[in-house]
Amino acid sequence: MVFNSLTFLVFFAVVLVLHRLPFPWTAKKFNLLVASYVFYAAWNPPFILLLWGSTIVDWYIARGIYASRDKCRAVRRSWLVISVAVNLGFIGFFKYGEFLLQNWQALMASFGITWVPPAWDIVLPVGISFYTFVTMSYTLDVYLGRSKPIPKFLDYALFVTYFPHLVAGPIVRPTQLVPQFQVPRQATRDQMLWGLGLLILGLFQKVVIADGGLASAADAVFGASGPVGFADAWLGTLAFSGQIFCDFAGYSTAAVGASLCLGFALPDNFRMPYAAIGFSDFWRRWHISLSTWLRDYLYVPLGGNRGSEARTYVNLMLTMLLGGLWHGASWTFVVWGGLHGLYLSVERWVRSRTGVAGDPAGAWNRLALALLTYALVNITWVFFRATTFDGAARVLAGMFGFAPDADPVLPTIYMIKVAAITASILVVQWLMRNVTLEEVVSRMPWWLTGAVAAAMLFAVIIAQGAGEAFIYFQF
Amino acid sequence: MKQLHEQDVVTEREIPRARLGAIGWLVLALVVVAVAAWEWKMRDLGLVAGDLGDGKSAWAVERRKIASGDHDGVVIVGGSRILFDTNLDVWAEMTGRRPVQLALPGMSGQQFLRDLAVNSRFDGFVLIDVTPEQFFRVGRGHPAFEGVLDYWEDEGPAKRTGHHIGRFLSRYLAFLDNQYSLTELIDQLEIRNRGKIPGPFLRPWKLSENYEDRQYHLWREIETNESLREHAIRVWLGRGLGPPDEALIARICADVRGSVAMIRARGGDVVFIRPPSSGGYYEREQQNTPRDRTWDRMLREADVLGIHFEDYPDMQGFELPELSHLTREDAVRFTRAYVGVLREWYVGLRPPPVLEPAG
Repeated sequence: MVFNSLTFLVFFAVVLVLHRLPFPWTAKKFNLLVASYVFYAAWNPPFILLLWGSTIVDWYIARGIYASRDKCRAVRRSWLVISVAVNLGFIGFFKYGEFLLQNWQALMASFGITWVPPAWDIVLPVGISFYTFVTMSYTLDVYLGRSKPIPKFLDYALFVTYFPHLVAGPIVRPTQLVPQFQVPRQATRDQMLWGLGLLILGLFQKVVIADGGLASAADAVFGASGPVGFADAWLGTLAFSGQIFCDFAGYSTAAVGASLCLGFALPDNFRMPYAAIGFSDFWRRWHISLSTWLRDYLYVPLGGNRGSEARTYVNLMLTMLLGGLWHGASWTFVVWGGLHGLYLSVERWVRSRTGVAGDPAGAWNRLALALLTYALVNITWVFFRATTFDGAARVLAGMFGFAPDADPVLPTIYMIKVAAITASILVVQWLMRNVTLEEVVSRMPWWLTGAVAAAMLFAVIIAQGAGEAFIYFQF
Repeated sequence: MKQLHEQDVVTEREIPRARLGAIGWLVLALVVVAVAAWEWKMRDLGLVAGDLGDGKSAWAVERRKIASGDHDGVVIVGGSRILFDTNLDVWAEMTGRRPVQLALPGMSGQQFLRDLAVNSRFDGFVLIDVTPEQFFRVGRGHPAFEGVLDYWEDEGPAKRTGHHIGRFLSRYLAFLDNQYSLTELIDQLEIRNRGKIPGPFLRPWKLSENYEDRQYHLWREIETNESLREHAIRVWLGRGLGPPDEALIARICADVRGSVAMIRARGGDVVFIRPPSSGGYYEREQQNTPRDRTWDRMLREADVLGIHFEDYPDMQGFELPELSHLTREDAVRFTRAYVGVLREWYVGLRPPPVLEPAG
């Protein structure tokens, strides 16, 4: 089920009503758990079994790890290995199976061995990368001694399955959500209204901006079969840059809003990333729940920055390469992660050599560096969006002026939309770089907030989104 | 317990210090007024409540009737002409059987005939529309229906439910028309493009009203609004499709022959139909896909019967407002004419596989 669908509106209304009826707290949580399974199964019912499998395995393994806390480390580690193997086994089979076979085929071919892999007709379960990381974070936290096993299975299952974050995050930690399930919670009137406001904002970003305003231009440029000219290549990439932000941040905002309507707080996943100055700043603002997950469960265990300088760079690159691969089973995603790793390494090197920490002085300097960061991030998006290296090379050639005679691709109306929307996104993000939406709304006249929210809701209604899936569902 | 990361805390979300109650009421009031005004404007432009629209989900509902056996043994496949030019009620009245309408705008019926032959146990009567420039062409067809042959089986409960809720709302709200969405209206602005890019302005705009069982009617505005009519004609005539090559025609004829044979082996049958076109569109079809190279050859090679509108006096004299589709009144006359022919054939030429015997 997607947030931008009529089915979700009906589903959500029913869930809200049930949650506000005077049932015992356990019954309310049970309702939410069942609703979350319905939410997931509404896409493709059989895949609910995978979710159950992942849930149950980590429930028992975390208890096993905790029970053996006083035994030798090997016992605890073997429990952890089982958890990681099962979770990565699921995701490896469904998400990376075909990719692995193709690469094995290519490797064999390089030795002159012809081998044709069997046809791979496996559907990728929606959100498997997200809920796998959620359950793994639970087991890892218990293993690392950061938290105890959750006492009640209902709280644990709801933590894993809670529908607002289930299929596209934010990737929550047990300590963020489980305590909220342990005591009765009901949204206050203001929480409910603010939650609905965030839901409207998220849907506006997805339906009106990402799908209605930018998707066609990105599709046209990245789907072009021939060379792409300078203006088309840049506008197509900017379109995708805006599309993926509005699509994913829209989902996260809607998730936070839906959850708040039920009385539960989810963490922010985006903080004006296109106003970032530098790449470490970018990753503090983009997909925050993933970047912190990678930091805490991959970068730090690898040694983080505690070893030699060279080792730090290796850890950084490894983390970003695997982060790239997490997004999709393709080498283009690995290159995307690799580029970000390279950017972070270069920035770290420059800062260590110049001794500059934090933002540079001077508004114009900050603006120039923010635009440079944005431009370099756009280069990485080419690899994220293109499905092949040939496709990426075609667009990059255009962006660097190597296709001056290419036929135009984008109709003028698409160019106007991309330019207007991109400029708006950049201006808004720059102005809100150091403030939260809540602070802005607190300062605005109430009638202006109301008028803006009404305009967004009206635009969502008349845009009549076709219920297009969010891009991050495929990850 | 170790406290290792900043996220390792329970989050309480900040709520703005604003008059959220007043804001909520203002939003509600403004949106109700704006939607009402929008609905009024859309009705003024000719949209009607009850126009259910079409899409992959609507098609999937019909296709699943074939899979489940919930049908009267008659299926129509092909492109938009047979959609607009067939009146399903007239079919039912004349034969006692209501066809399952599986034709799709911009599509060739060939691949759908193959789908029925290969992926179903359908053993009834198939009527397949031949719009020559679409039928003898390889292409993806209408983007809104891309992948529809896989979609109908894979469609999950959420999409199915959403489809039914959407249809329910469409009965009361005229503005719920995906061809008059905000995005479509912006994309339909006429702005000069670079080079030879046609742009979204020169994509087909709304042409139809859609009702139960995917009954299409030519939208009334196409008959009465000159600028919409001229836009549609400009779109049709602006499509510079050249003639198909011999190899493609041969391949399509062979594919059709195979599909027909499979359906006949199960006891069913297939009849082809060429609905009318007119003006510059008809002339281009004559030029690019002349009847003897395409239609006659296919009937001969596949050993099938076909109804070509040129061969029947009572299929003449239609006014086609945008050169390609009949008005809803003419669709009734055309349906009566061709169903009449079918009834005669299946009494006179061979045992009727699905239609009732005449008399």
